[in-house]
Amino acid sequence: MLEESSETSSPYASDPETPGFAFDPDDPWTQTFQEGLARADLKDKTVYEVGVGTGINVAFILQSCGARRVYGSDLDPRLVVLAERNIKILSPEHAKHFKPVHGSVSLVDTDEAREKIAKTDVVIACIPQVGEPSDERLTAFREAQSIELAEGAGDEAEDHIAHYYPWSLFDQYPYNSVGLGLNEALMRRIREHAPKAELVMNFGCRIGTEIICECFEANGYKPEKIASKIVLQHSGTDISFFVSLEKALNGTEYEKQLVCKFYGDPEGKRPLSATKAQEMINDDPNVPLYHEVAVIRGTPI
Amino acid sequence: MQVSNTIDCNGLSPAPTLLRIMQALVGREDSTSPLNVLVGADCNCESLAVSLGPLAQDVQLASDAKQFAAVN
Repeated sequence: MLEESSETSSPYASDPETPGFAFDPDDPWTQTFQEGLARADLKDKTVYEVGVGTGINVAFILQSCGARRVYGSDLDPRLVVLAERNIKILSPEHAKHFKPVHGSVSLVDTDEAREKIAKTDVVIACIPQVGEPSDERLTAFREAQSIELAEGAGDEAEDHIAHYYPWSLFDQYPYNSVGLGLNEALMRRIREHAPKAELVMNFGCRIGTEIICECFEANGYKPEKIASKIVLQHSGTDISFFVSLEKALNGTEYEKQLVCKFYGDPEGKRPLSATKAQEMINDDPNVPLYHEVAVIRGTPI
Repeated sequence: MQVSNTIDCNGLSPAPTLLRIMQALVGREDSTSPLNVLVGADCNCESLAVSLGPLAQDVQLASDAKQFAAVN
């Protein structure tokens, strides 16, 4: 009898190719997202992934969730090519059911992407929820709260665009004020081009799930949390945006309505504000901090 | 980047509304005319103005965009 260790529990024959410019598929964000995808009733559905990255989710949806077909695109054109390659490695028998949209696609803003979205039952996405630290207006807002950018926060890692979005460009969306502008922009596009499609989106809930659910409702979706995990805060991701939000509300009657949610332990029993979390990072840049990642399903209302 | 003189806060709860106004005021180049803020009909504008403090004088709150034309 073969013994199966937890380290060899991958359902795939081989490991995916994961260059530095791709979001790490072993990250707990991905694990949480896939827990949610497994509960999202994707069998026989046509799914579109906005931001395919390495293609690990596409392989999972086809192999483990029984999706009929998956479309996918990414802002970084290298990633769609990588995803195609990885799906052939991970799940060769399903590779023909992945129909990528090539080129650089922001959200679903090309004719081909919109044409595929219109034929989609479920749109899935895990896209940035933190404004680009060097954004000019975000910098002005941060400085207005007398908050300095943490040392190294302005450095760009290879997978920078997997973590941050150009905040000012999404200012027309009201929830941009709390870092959800990119996600709200996607909700509105799906509402326009695939009004019956469900959304399944992965969020780092540092601003709390309540306000994320509020964003779904304001854009015509009934939200439901279908998976959740407390994960380690990515040490390279700047949190000064969240500190700025808290500080701007200090002394107002709304300060208790938005307190960011970090934790000092992996069980999520010791809640910390972003301000406290930043103080701890300033004292020790390697201090382990945690936050919730949750998968929210939005059903059109 | 130039910020529009009108921002939409309709549908936002009070805390993100206040943040959105503060963020827009920071990014403005034209501070000679008030920032028009479109809010929901259920917005407690008085409470919002109190939280804005001195910034409230730079802001015009209304639940109908037509009201801005009457002011500006």
